[in-house]
Amino acid sequence: MLMDSVLVTTKLSKKYPNANVYALKNLTLNVGPGEVYGFLGPNGAGKSTAIRTLMNFIQPTSGSATILGRDIIKDSVKIKQEIGYLAGDGAVYNKMTGRQYLEYLGELQPPSSKTYQQELTKRLQATLNKPLGSLSRGNRQKISIIQAFMHQPKLLILDEPSSGLDPLMQEVFYELIAESKARGAAVFMSSHILSEVQKICDRVGIIRNGELVTERNIAEMAEEAAQTFDLTFKDNLPVSKLKNLACVQKLVENSPHSVTLQVRGELAPLFSILAQYTVTNIDTRTLDLEEAFMHYYQPREDRHV
Amino acid sequence: MFSVFKWTLWQRRWSTLWWSLGIVSLITLTLSFYPTIHNQAAQLNKSFGSLNNSTLALFGGTDFFSPVGYLNSQLIYLMLPLLLIILGVGLGSSLIGREESEGTIELLLARPISRPRLILAKALAGAFIIFLVTTIGSLVTIGLAKVVNMGIPLTNIAMACLACFMLVLTFSAIAFLLSSTGRGRASALGITIVYTLGGYIIGSLANTVHGLRIPSMLFPYHYYQSADILRGTFNWSSITFFGIFIGVCLILALLSFRRRDLG
Repeated sequence: MLMDSVLVTTKLSKKYPNANVYALKNLTLNVGPGEVYGFLGPNGAGKSTAIRTLMNFIQPTSGSATILGRDIIKDSVKIKQEIGYLAGDGAVYNKMTGRQYLEYLGELQPPSSKTYQQELTKRLQATLNKPLGSLSRGNRQKISIIQAFMHQPKLLILDEPSSGLDPLMQEVFYELIAESKARGAAVFMSSHILSEVQKICDRVGIIRNGELVTERNIAEMAEEAAQTFDLTFKDNLPVSKLKNLACVQKLVENSPHSVTLQVRGELAPLFSILAQYTVTNIDTRTLDLEEAFMHYYQPREDRHV
Repeated sequence: MFSVFKWTLWQRRWSTLWWSLGIVSLITLTLSFYPTIHNQAAQLNKSFGSLNNSTLALFGGTDFFSPVGYLNSQLIYLMLPLLLIILGVGLGSSLIGREESEGTIELLLARPISRPRLILAKALAGAFIIFLVTTIGSLVTIGLAKVVNMGIPLTNIAMACLACFMLVLTFSAIAFLLSSTGRGRASALGITIVYTLGGYIIGSLANTVHGLRIPSMLFPYHYYQSADILRGTFNWSSITFFGIFIGVCLILALLSFRRRDLG
């Protein structure tokens, strides 16, 4: 996996001068080709620091990182031929029109084709003939997305990419991510929108106080969630019978009549027991990232792990 | 690199035009009064004779109404460099400083362009703008000096304008260096302005206050002898000093900007 990884960080750390704590501490992760990695965390957790370090805008205090096998510091210029970057603060040249802005950035890194740039403009319904400073946040964001995608990079590093977009344009953005993924590009994006991450990411990492606290595969999480049942019985629970089933991994009694089961493997024995009782309700869970990850966002003393 | 140079000029096109128009207006206004002043030179010299030497030194010497004295005191020694220094220091502090404070520098460095190339392109664009405005000012000065019959050799005026350009570029380079090291735009501007004004006052008074002679050598204004140049004594060592000073500032700016954290 590491040999083929597009992005690899090894104990990447950043401590700002005069700061007492690390803004980024020992970040170790990798992103493979065609993978969409969601980088989540509360405000000030270190997401932008990680992204700005990868882009060589700030220097790491320790650790290392490679993009497409090249060192992010020594080979920064070569690496950037293969990167599409979207900044989180939405900085643009306010006096330039969208067309002039794309022309300028296009001269520094030409689009893969003029047609593709035009197609992006059309799909995102971007306004190119007005000064960027006169456009709404969403309309400026569309143009920022175009500049990040127009040269069809092998790695997209996107900081809060869909902020300001209306739902229709968010869908277009998700399509662009899916198309990039399909042609083998890797995507490393930070986001606060968990439903978006759940929809488009393959893997998520949560960063908190500069440290990666957990990393999960969305497909595995979805599978786990799909194998969780909430059962309500008319009479008392057949707890011992359920506990003895080989497929039941975990059993939580919610009340004298309701239970939550996490199951794995063959489900027939479970259903044959249920058939012997009056079951008034069966719910299967769906993946809810918000529920799964919200406790990582809360301050440590408020967490009930 | 050429794209950054070209688009920086494009972004500054209107301010460059307005600066050029402003300087042309100042020169036209100043030189159009010359025939009138020249006719009353003897009387005016008598009035100015009552001022002490230190005060006169601040305006570029003791001679105000001869052709060289007028051109030097009214334009070449103070007003022209002063205006161009405001332009140059403003450019020097904002070419990198503004891009950094507004976050747009990250848009450029996210593209395959190295930091040294970016900073060189910005420095060249700034130098070109100052050169353009100074050249326009110089041509207008030379033209009008001929029209009002000042009788100063035109090459002397051209060389004085060249020295003025180098002086302005020196102060601009200081502001550029300060902003490249990551100090804010306002700090770069403030420090350079204090250094410029301090140098101007110390350099101007050094001829009359002996204690200031050695300290004045630390400031670029000491090497700007515009009256001598207008009289035909061009000192290439001063231009060399400015050139070395600018080169050192640029190298330090490159070294500082190469690896530092962007704000």
